[in-house]
Amino acid sequence: MLNNIVSAISSAASPITLLLLVVGTGAGILIGAMPGLSVNMGIALLYPLTFAFDGVQGIIMLLGVYCGAIYGGSISAILLNTPGTPASAATTLDGYPMANKMGQPGRALGLSTMASMFGGLFSAICLMVFAPQLAKVALTFSKAEYFALALFGISIITSVSSGSVIKGLMGGALGLFIGTIGIDAMTGKMRFTFGSTYLIGGISFIPILIGVFAFSQVLASIESCFDEKFEKKDVKISRVLPTLDDIKRVAATLLRSSVIGTFIGCIPGTGGDISSFICYDQAKKWSRHKENFGNGEPEGIVAPESGNNAVSGGAMIPMLTLGIPGDGATAILLGALMVQGIAPGPLLFTNQPVQVYTIFLGLLLANIVMGCFGFSLIRVFSKVVNVPKEILIPIIFIMTFVGTYSYNHSMTDVYVMVFFGFLGYFMNKTQFSMSAIILGIILGGTAEQNFSGALMMSKGSFSIFFTRPICLVFLLISVLSLMSPLYGQAVKRIWKNRKKSS
Amino acid sequence: MFKKITAVILSVAMGAALLTGCGKGGAYPSDDIEVIVPKGAGGGTDTSTRGLLTYMEKNFEGAKFNVTNNPDGGGITGMVQTAEADADGYTLGAVTVELDMFCFQDKTDLTYESFDAIAMPIGAPAALIVQADAPYNSVDEFVAYCQENPDTVQVGNSGAGAIWDIATYLMEQEYGVTVSHIPYPNGTADIAAAITGGHIDATLADPSSFMTQIEAGTLKCLGVMSAERMTLLPDVPTFAEEGHDLVVRAWAALVAPKGLDEASLQVLRDAAKAALESDECKEYFLSQGIEPLDYIGDEAYQVMADDYAMYKEVFETIDFAE
Repeated sequence: MLNNIVSAISSAASPITLLLLVVGTGAGILIGAMPGLSVNMGIALLYPLTFAFDGVQGIIMLLGVYCGAIYGGSISAILLNTPGTPASAATTLDGYPMANKMGQPGRALGLSTMASMFGGLFSAICLMVFAPQLAKVALTFSKAEYFALALFGISIITSVSSGSVIKGLMGGALGLFIGTIGIDAMTGKMRFTFGSTYLIGGISFIPILIGVFAFSQVLASIESCFDEKFEKKDVKISRVLPTLDDIKRVAATLLRSSVIGTFIGCIPGTGGDISSFICYDQAKKWSRHKENFGNGEPEGIVAPESGNNAVSGGAMIPMLTLGIPGDGATAILLGALMVQGIAPGPLLFTNQPVQVYTIFLGLLLANIVMGCFGFSLIRVFSKVVNVPKEILIPIIFIMTFVGTYSYNHSMTDVYVMVFFGFLGYFMNKTQFSMSAIILGIILGGTAEQNFSGALMMSKGSFSIFFTRPICLVFLLISVLSLMSPLYGQAVKRIWKNRKKSS
Repeated sequence: MFKKITAVILSVAMGAALLTGCGKGGAYPSDDIEVIVPKGAGGGTDTSTRGLLTYMEKNFEGAKFNVTNNPDGGGITGMVQTAEADADGYTLGAVTVELDMFCFQDKTDLTYESFDAIAMPIGAPAALIVQADAPYNSVDEFVAYCQENPDTVQVGNSGAGAIWDIATYLMEQEYGVTVSHIPYPNGTADIAAAITGGHIDATLADPSSFMTQIEAGTLKCLGVMSAERMTLLPDVPTFAEEGHDLVVRAWAALVAPKGLDEASLQVLRDAAKAALESDECKEYFLSQGIEPLDYIGDEAYQVMADDYAMYKEVFETIDFAE
């Protein structure tokens, strides 16, 4: 055991490996920050490079890309209100207000960097300590449990739609509807395709994301330019590390989100997008500053960012212990490992312990390098807030088109992006929540497919949802979460009265 | 000073852009080639196409392959994109066995005739995989178990009407049994998780996603629907050996849109041949759990045409349950 760790350290800490790690992480952060370039795309792009290196060196570079890209998405989410990857959509809710309305981009980026690093490190340690046990838990998830988990995710709509709950639910319903377009994968039948080849595949998610967040933001900014004289905000960044007060305030959230993120990561087929929303929701429910959510609450930044980076270590668990990838990114990593003669699966830990420990160390180092990059670049990134709008808006405007087109090389995607951009603009004006639509689209398909799949397994009997304990627990939490606006006020009143009387 | 440097860099960049624009006039290929893979990154189609292209690139000078994944619509969108691209050799694509099925499912009018085949590096057979501690140890014993428990054995597939689902229907028809079809539309990784977790009883699918579990002894493979035994699973008999002529293979081929000139096609086929016959490339494929094929040009086209005829019959005779 000790021998293995020592030889793992010597191979993970070699200069070439560290250099590759720095290159990979840097590239990952840039890829993540660009809307339209996804984590999977980044890993797939750098994947052929791993052939050139021996053993796990190339793999460690890919781990850097993986962690960096998840983190990078938060930078554009905070500064531009445009999530760089779907996993950072929840970060816009509080990150953008803190960076712009409150004029504290340094604080927001510092918090998100700290949270990403903590979440990543936490999940890497979980991977080392609990991998075999967590893999067993993940395997108990069948279609009924996936449905319940997705339903729980959807029920969060009531919590992320800060304004009107009714409008949140309406937005969520729109998202669910968009998710039904295309081939129904369970039966192979067409739905709402009207003979169009583009619609067979459903409306791609990335163009919608860029449309409703970035394009609509551009339109809104152009409008506000007319009656607003640009004032240079007084952004003084005296420190990039979060203050002790902030750390104390978010400590509990940080830990909770990391646990949730790691757990969600280790369930195959789920990822950073659902994890970040669930973490945001839980942070809000447990927070002492509930009212401040949506206005630049530190916990609202820390929760999704630690939650999505914690997915990285979690997703590695089924990949390494079972040979089953947890998401698209780990599927490519699995291939890269196999090229190097490392065969993930139940035998990996006994047959190739040195390689396993090297990968563990690589993941830890990747998160540390990512944090160093983040903290040292905060001052540079923060300047974006002070770029005059007449310069910044055209740049974002072009980026929305480039990002959308580069995603699939399809002009139809660009039209879809523009359409949803205008839709998003008007929905923003009427206080609809974008996050509710996004949640509906992300989770609608998963919920539906697993609902009908579970019924196929039970031959149409609904008892399958009530006889399986994990499934039942998630269903109960979803109902409680969905109904929370109805009883939330009452509970608060009772709580206050009790406090007064005591 | 700074402005001057920027100006120099910009003019160099613009000049370079102009030059690459002119490049297309020379011998093929003189510019980067886009390859559309109609499946997600990391799957068998993607891995084998990227593998083939990596080794083809070594025989090319000055041209690179840029792969884009478009898994939308179960792959229809990406294949249509390739078919509709200019036949100038700068857009190629991968097509999969589903191309021979979609046209019978009213999903598209596209057929294999819209393409010219370059090479077929992969043709994974359907393998019957079950839990290692299951009471059956051969295809016949499994079938007997299905007969005793009609309509209860749960067999995972990667989507209703997709290839592994059809393999299951063909087996039901051949042996006269009925099983319960459970779709996992996100692909074989999800089937692997479900069968390892004990949620389903069996699957008929490409064995590569299950190899680690088979080697670890948690799953076992009872039979493969291929013409010959697989190198990866030398002890597993084919269905044909047991007297049932079932061959279901998930192939993927590198193709060009129809109409590309013969000379350019030959360049691509030669490069693919050199790549697929090299030991490096074969080793790479095996390390990914994929049995490499080396069907070039007409040989690949023949497989595409044969399977088209087979699925035509399948869709005419089997009534797919709603």
